[in-house]
Amino acid sequence: MGGQARAIRAADPGARIVPLARRLHTRTRAAGGAGALALVVLDDVGKTYRGRGGAYEAVRGVSLDLAEGEFVCLLGTSGCGKTTVLNMVAGFEAPTAGRILLDGAPVRGPGAERGVVFQGHDSLYDWLTALDNIAFGLRLRGLPKRERRARAGHFLRLVGLDGQGAKHPAELSGGMKQRIQIARALAADPRILLMDEPFGALDAMTRATLQAELSRIWAETRKTVLFITHDIEEAVALSTRVAVMTRGPGGTLKALIPVDLPYPRDRTSDGFMAVFRQVHALIHAEIHPQ
Amino acid sequence: MRDRAITVLGYLAGFALLFAVWHVAATWLARSALFPPPWPVLDRAVVLVEDGILQEQVLASLRRIAQGFLLGSAVGIPIGLAIGSFRPVRALLEPWTEFFRFIPAVAMITVSVIWFGIGEESKVFLIAYTTVFVIIISTAAGVGAVARDKIRAAQCLGATRFQVFLLVALPATLPYILTGMRLAMANSFVTIVAAELVASNDGLGKMLWDARLFMQVEDIFVALVALGLLGFAADRLFRLLIRAFAGRFNPTM
Repeated sequence: MGGQARAIRAADPGARIVPLARRLHTRTRAAGGAGALALVVLDDVGKTYRGRGGAYEAVRGVSLDLAEGEFVCLLGTSGCGKTTVLNMVAGFEAPTAGRILLDGAPVRGPGAERGVVFQGHDSLYDWLTALDNIAFGLRLRGLPKRERRARAGHFLRLVGLDGQGAKHPAELSGGMKQRIQIARALAADPRILLMDEPFGALDAMTRATLQAELSRIWAETRKTVLFITHDIEEAVALSTRVAVMTRGPGGTLKALIPVDLPYPRDRTSDGFMAVFRQVHALIHAEIHPQ
Repeated sequence: MRDRAITVLGYLAGFALLFAVWHVAATWLARSALFPPPWPVLDRAVVLVEDGILQEQVLASLRRIAQGFLLGSAVGIPIGLAIGSFRPVRALLEPWTEFFRFIPAVAMITVSVIWFGIGEESKVFLIAYTTVFVIIISTAAGVGAVARDKIRAAQCLGATRFQVFLLVALPATLPYILTGMRLAMANSFVTIVAAELVASNDGLGKMLWDARLFMQVEDIFVALVALGLLGFAADRLFRLLIRAFAGRFNPTM
């Protein structure tokens, strides 16, 4: 009982919530102008791979601030370097130019304050049950079994999988596996959730369901999210801001579009359509350059 | 449950067919004292069991296999894990594994007898030798096949290097280790017979050799059937283990 109460408190860190108005009106600023609001700062970040075949510039001069509680979608065509940006924020890869700051400190390698939801299901532990997968991060911290079970159970319910905790990943559908990944990342209570096209491999119906679920979960947990996608509708439906990238190689930020629409979002509303058209025009210009 | 019944019935029918073909081949085709049909062989096996001789030979061979196999596994699994985990270790040890892999255990019999005599040590050494390289290679391959995202997921949940190894790489590698052990067990049967043929006071290989010397054809066939049944049972055991530990998440095994 006590563990559960703590779990719910941890999932809803009210003290960290930034007032909604300020959050929605946060704009990116020039490099070096990181204000008190920014949780994550990307400052002129670039990544160039050097191999035997020469150099390949994946990402160039990306500057972006993420405020606490924001939901930012990084939108771009395939090969634009958006996953590379996420991998650098996660700490899986180091930038070859610029710097990435988390709470003012440079990012060095992966860490528990940045939870990642991967595109495929490879990242789940097949030999563990759904519940033990969710509890994995808590086990690493040495939490007692009863406490981590209670906490994992809370996040299992949060992602709508109540009663499925004893199943193994092989027994779950693709959508359920992504729910487990989200619960696993959230259970470790990260400062920011990094999501790499998490619904890209799902069918359209499941994807729409999970998008709605993610909006609800985000509203409940107020977690900061950086979400990678190439789906314009998904970006407009989920985010408080859409960061549009130019096409690769050497992709960079093209525009930052605030999405000032109420949740849950009505995809057929005029306001939604207007933002969709605006973002669509930006992406279309990348696919069919004049 | 129904699948299991079909499997068991199929196995029984398969063995029955095997003995039927043997019977037909020996009675109608070969018609030679050098190829006895199943019944005289079974009669002889009953006599050998009553005298306690067959059990003695089987136990002698199995004990050597068990000792050498456990020793080879105990040495091979950690080495395989180290090779799979650390590039310098791989560079250092790959010449060893790739060198000895091509010297079969049978070729090591002579040197083993010179070093250890014809007692237990030489046989245990040979079984361990034939086991260790298969397990090293299989284990190292398993470590290399761990999905990158599994390791990354653990890292961004705060895992230390040691935790990644213990809680991710090791369980993910377990099916590969068990598969390596299964292959090594088959190798061990080949090796134990060869070693006992050449230099031993007991065991199924020695039984084969003595039977040839004294032209006891039934004894030869008793030893052959015993080897086949023991190998079959050992292989089933490993398949069950692999399924218990890994089948849950690897339905192809």
